[in-house]
Amino acid sequence: MKKWYFIGLGVTVVLLSSFSWSGFFDHQVDYNEEVKPVLNKNCMGCHGGVKQAGEVSFLFEHEMLEPGKSGKIPVLRGDADASEMIRRILSDDPDERMPKGGAHLKEEDIKILKKWINQGAKWETHWAYKRIEKPEVPSNKNLWNLFGLINTGNVNWPKNEVDEFVLQKLKQEKLSPSPQADKATLIRRLSLDLTGLPPTEQEVADFEKDTSPNAYEKVVDRLLKSPSYGERWTSMWMDLARYADTKGYESDGGRNIWRYRDYVVKSFNADKPFDQFTIEQLAGDLMPEKKTGMPSDENMIATAFHRNTMINNEGGTDDEEFRVAAQIDRVNTTWEVWQGTTFACIQCHSHPYDPIPHEDYYKYMAFFNNSRDEDVWDEWPKLRFYKGEDSARVEKVKSWINKYNPKETQKFTQFMRVMEPKINAHSIVKGDESTVLLISYYGVKDKGNAKIPNVDLTGAGSLVMNISTKAENAVMTFHLDKIDGPVISKLNVPTRDTVLVTPIPKISGKHDIFLKLKSPKNPTEWVRITWLAFQEALPGAGEPEYPEILKDYSTILTKSTESMPVVWEGTGDFARKTNVFIRGNWSVKGAEVKPDVPKLLAPMPKEYPKNRIGLAKWIVSRENALTSRVIVNRFWEQLFGRGIVETVEDFGSQGAEPSHPELLDWLAVNFMEEDHWSVKKLLKTMVMSATYQQSSKSDKGRQEQDPYNRFISRGPRVRLSAEQVRDQAMAASGLLSSKMYGPSVMPPQPEGIWSSPYSGESWKVSEGEDKHRRAVYTYWKRTAPYPSMTTFDAPSREFCQSRRILTNTPLQALVTLNDPVYLEAAEKLATTMQKRGKTPEEQLREGYRLLTFQPINDKSLKVLVKIYGDALKSYRAKPSDVDSILVYGKERKSPELAALTISANVMLNLDNVVTKE
Amino acid sequence: MEKLLKELQHADLHGQTRRHFLQSAGFGLGALGLGSLLGSCSNSNAETGVAAEAMGAKIPQFAPKAKRVIYIHMAGAPSQLELFDYKPELEKYHGKDCPAEFLEGKKFAFIQGVPKMLGPQGKFNQYGQSGAWMSDYIPYLQTVADEITFIKSMHTDQFNHAPAQLLLHTGSARLGRPSLGAWSVYGLGSENQNLPGFIVLASGGRQPDAGKSVYGSGFLPSVYQGVQCRTGGDPVLYVTDPNGMNRNMRKQTIEAINEINKQTYDDVKDPEILTRISQYEMAFRMQMSVPEVMDVSREPQFILDMYGVKPGEGTFAMNCLLARKLVENDVRFVQLFDWGWDGHGTTAGDNVEGGLRNKCRLSDKPVAALIQDLKMRGLLDETLIIWGAEFGRTPMQENRNGVVMPYMGRDHHLEAFTMWMAGGGVKKGYTHGETDELGYYGVKDRVHVHDLQATILHLMGFDHEKFTYPFQGRNFRLTDTEGKVVKNIIA
Repeated sequence: MKKWYFIGLGVTVVLLSSFSWSGFFDHQVDYNEEVKPVLNKNCMGCHGGVKQAGEVSFLFEHEMLEPGKSGKIPVLRGDADASEMIRRILSDDPDERMPKGGAHLKEEDIKILKKWINQGAKWETHWAYKRIEKPEVPSNKNLWNLFGLINTGNVNWPKNEVDEFVLQKLKQEKLSPSPQADKATLIRRLSLDLTGLPPTEQEVADFEKDTSPNAYEKVVDRLLKSPSYGERWTSMWMDLARYADTKGYESDGGRNIWRYRDYVVKSFNADKPFDQFTIEQLAGDLMPEKKTGMPSDENMIATAFHRNTMINNEGGTDDEEFRVAAQIDRVNTTWEVWQGTTFACIQCHSHPYDPIPHEDYYKYMAFFNNSRDEDVWDEWPKLRFYKGEDSARVEKVKSWINKYNPKETQKFTQFMRVMEPKINAHSIVKGDESTVLLISYYGVKDKGNAKIPNVDLTGAGSLVMNISTKAENAVMTFHLDKIDGPVISKLNVPTRDTVLVTPIPKISGKHDIFLKLKSPKNPTEWVRITWLAFQEALPGAGEPEYPEILKDYSTILTKSTESMPVVWEGTGDFARKTNVFIRGNWSVKGAEVKPDVPKLLAPMPKEYPKNRIGLAKWIVSRENALTSRVIVNRFWEQLFGRGIVETVEDFGSQGAEPSHPELLDWLAVNFMEEDHWSVKKLLKTMVMSATYQQSSKSDKGRQEQDPYNRFISRGPRVRLSAEQVRDQAMAASGLLSSKMYGPSVMPPQPEGIWSSPYSGESWKVSEGEDKHRRAVYTYWKRTAPYPSMTTFDAPSREFCQSRRILTNTPLQALVTLNDPVYLEAAEKLATTMQKRGKTPEEQLREGYRLLTFQPINDKSLKVLVKIYGDALKSYRAKPSDVDSILVYGKERKSPELAALTISANVMLNLDNVVTKE
Repeated sequence: MEKLLKELQHADLHGQTRRHFLQSAGFGLGALGLGSLLGSCSNSNAETGVAAEAMGAKIPQFAPKAKRVIYIHMAGAPSQLELFDYKPELEKYHGKDCPAEFLEGKKFAFIQGVPKMLGPQGKFNQYGQSGAWMSDYIPYLQTVADEITFIKSMHTDQFNHAPAQLLLHTGSARLGRPSLGAWSVYGLGSENQNLPGFIVLASGGRQPDAGKSVYGSGFLPSVYQGVQCRTGGDPVLYVTDPNGMNRNMRKQTIEAINEINKQTYDDVKDPEILTRISQYEMAFRMQMSVPEVMDVSREPQFILDMYGVKPGEGTFAMNCLLARKLVENDVRFVQLFDWGWDGHGTTAGDNVEGGLRNKCRLSDKPVAALIQDLKMRGLLDETLIIWGAEFGRTPMQENRNGVVMPYMGRDHHLEAFTMWMAGGGVKKGYTHGETDELGYYGVKDRVHVHDLQATILHLMGFDHEKFTYPFQGRNFRLTDTEGKVVKNIIA
């Protein structure tokens, strides 16, 4: 940055001291700003991460200095003319000239490259990968405006540091800030931004009345404490977490994972520090509490972040293929959410433009790869919630173990809570008269057999097994090492779905176990195994109550309880090796890799464990160059409608340049060091700024100079999100339920949206207040999301999505015009309007005020009065239409109310109603 | 074709300068009827880079031969061995054990152990000047044989319906990628201001197995997703005014909305408001034009007879007629899904004898009529019709769970199947590719679904390797990293 203008004596001294004389005479080429874009555009396609034509690449520093296939060195530091790169660019021979087959490089680009090489071809890390340092807050005060005594150049405009950065930029761009928005606009903007809901009438009136200097701040503080705050930010987080209430893929059956959504709401409301929020979601299962040795329920529920991956249980699919697909999704999602770096490309080859090698992807995947989930239909591992007598049974078993062998309590508690570790049916090797059924069960018939390979029996004392059949008197035996080996267990298979616990003798080492079935009475009936586990015997054998405790244990495991998918780390035999997949193909494995973070960023400190906990800590460490920048930018984008880095999903060299780089870094450091990752404090800093409080009105000048408001010379003016459009209509009309939490709900939607092949699931409209809950509680089916949400640009949540590209379409108009949800809101609003005013004018004024909190101007009122009058005439002429349009409320039906409903329908569709102004 | 290129270039410029254009355009309702689907997509944040690039129409790399597409997908997958791929040799093997080489290392959805071979059930003959082989299952299609290019050597990677449908329509077996139709509208834009650019019609009583994702926009902006016109309820969601509101009242309400919005624009000068005004106008026009285009009651009787349509029925035949009406109205991409072709042999409806004959009886006449009708109207040259399924069927008889099935059925088969195309720049009366004598593998000119996609994009004027969209740090394309244009079938 070389910005220097003569301002005043005091400043000159400062300038001189940091002045570079050589820079003055010979401009130093900036690699990131000047060279990298030229390389990315012209060279990296063939000489980057994907292809290294002629064994030449410009991806890594060492590569450009090494000779290519021809033996010539692409970049010879200090000597452009001897550098092969320059020779080839300038060559007249069409076979030699670069870019091959492409357009000649521009003169100025060639000049830059030559100069850069002659100056020593200095390599620089991309800005986003450099440690975040706190920049100086610029001062916009100077001698001319007497340090703020005269408000020239808006010197008194800044309210906090944010504004100093913004003002500096505005000055450079010869723009000036807009005046502060009026109070009603401000409180509506604030309420929508912080809570996702419009303010109430009373809140607006209170704010307008309050003339104290901190009136605005009081509103900010109140909103930050509102329970709706958590719901609003959860809506954002749900897109990132790719949260849905179904499993995805073809059958897309239901999934019970709403407790994770509630965890996010509660975390935001409690202002859980963002670093802790991160660690819990990525590694909550690895955070045992001292007392129990188990993680808290809250932390386990948090890990469902990475169980929002899809599961495929269609016939013939390979569980391993889709298990790997879920792991890959976890890597990509973690990178996108916290690092704003698109990692997916590295799955197949090195990053095409940023220096991240292919192996780094798999090293990173190794952190996640031990999760016990294996794409099974039942979605194990799941956290089980016990109630009533089952809960008492669990406690009874726990205190029994505490009494007889307290060292084992944790292991058994773990099995009762998450039923891990266990061997899933798909690991069983086929024998006679037996096969995998519906890919999730292993079926055996009479005289059938199968093999459970390579089981570690050291310390094991019992076989625990989920089994079911309709066959009567079936007997299953388990043999050691050989199909006719010694019997280690024999069990009578009951004719119901049950978890059996049977003793096995003490054996040590790894063994193949063979199972055999005799079922002469119903020889064609399948005996189905879902999973099995070899585990320690419950302690206290020989005690008189032992059989009862065994029974309790088996009952607990058999009971179908409420449960939800969580991440659970496999250890020992249940840990997995991770290999590089050659060109991203999961079935072609390359070298084995150990967990590690990409070299691109600061290394993981040695004291961090090389597991997900260590990874999560590394992500939120002070040294991580990306996390805080990326997160701060996400919240900024939500408030201002565009990020400081517009490509919130890509901070790499292909992403957009930040509009205010110093502001971004200041916010990022402040968030970590001053706010200690408090999101509420971060948001408060942003909304307390004068920048945020500007009026969003534009004019010809601003429109021409800064059409997209990149430099923020006016307040944000952005269409409401899908959730906000709905919630606002519900709230303003008085329909909205304030109920929080719980299973997702099904508000009315048209017939025929859901079609679920192979499952009887259907959309059953929720009853009572559940019909009118906030949008964040709406049931989300991946293959058929709630239609009005997708029309307003919500994603289907198959994958993490950072940014909703806002569209403006006729289909959106049809939703707010004709969707019964909005017609009900219109009718309800009309009812209120009717009570509030005597004349149609008064009623319409009230309606407009309830939606916008602004007085209506005469011109607009005239339009509304006219539509009201036209509608009234029409309903008086045809009273049967009154009954047809007013179908929701219980109020007395009249042509007047019908006409007001039509007017409310108009108002709910106004631009300034569906827009945050 | 020159004209189309020009139009697209114009549209591209228009996309770039839309805001400016709108600002200087005169007001008054109607003066802002600029909202083609292209222009309708706006992003208040877009300026440079990723977002802005997504918004303008792409200029095709070649002059497109197919201006519009009708894609007819027979969901479930009909048997090529009963319809097009005549295998007299298979007849000889009927009832014999399947050769081991067909089974080793192969995976099937249902076949287990060693199944028996199943001979062709149709009576085959050659038709037209081109001598195309077709069976007696499809007598009407026989009459238009010389309009068609058959690809007998199709193959795919997936043997389950949903992933195979996704692979075919989105280039990936996983959810989340844009569909062919979405890519088409993203690339070429829409020419009709009153109708969506990408319309989906489904018949057969069920939606496609992979749900809306087979016509979704994936990571492309949602404006490009297929809009399903439904045969029950609103043809387009919420297109119908509520009961108790007449057309005139809706007109008045939209006028009122737009008038107040214009006042807001005068005050705050946000160009997005102008877009909104034009979108409300388009919504109003759609309310008229969608029901209109979906109404076949004004079609002459001979046309209804030609397709075999009875007004009021949501049949495949009806959808073929609607497809013609839609392309006639310049809808860019019409996607038909007909469910119920999955002939495993488990029931009387689901087999390659009666069941398949029945499905053919319901679809053969309207498909042939569609070709003739488009030709008659001079639309066939610029309209590409594609017919096919997500995979084919095995030359073996299915033996689910190792048991002989009650009816003659075939399992899902990914190694070989037949698709055909007509119109829009493909050869007339041509057959591409061959399978072995039992119809198991393609042995000549194999065409992978990615090759098919590359070819369709080529016919629409796009180089599939250059037609990309950046997402998660990668330039994604329909054909992923594969695909070769099948030059031989291009006229």
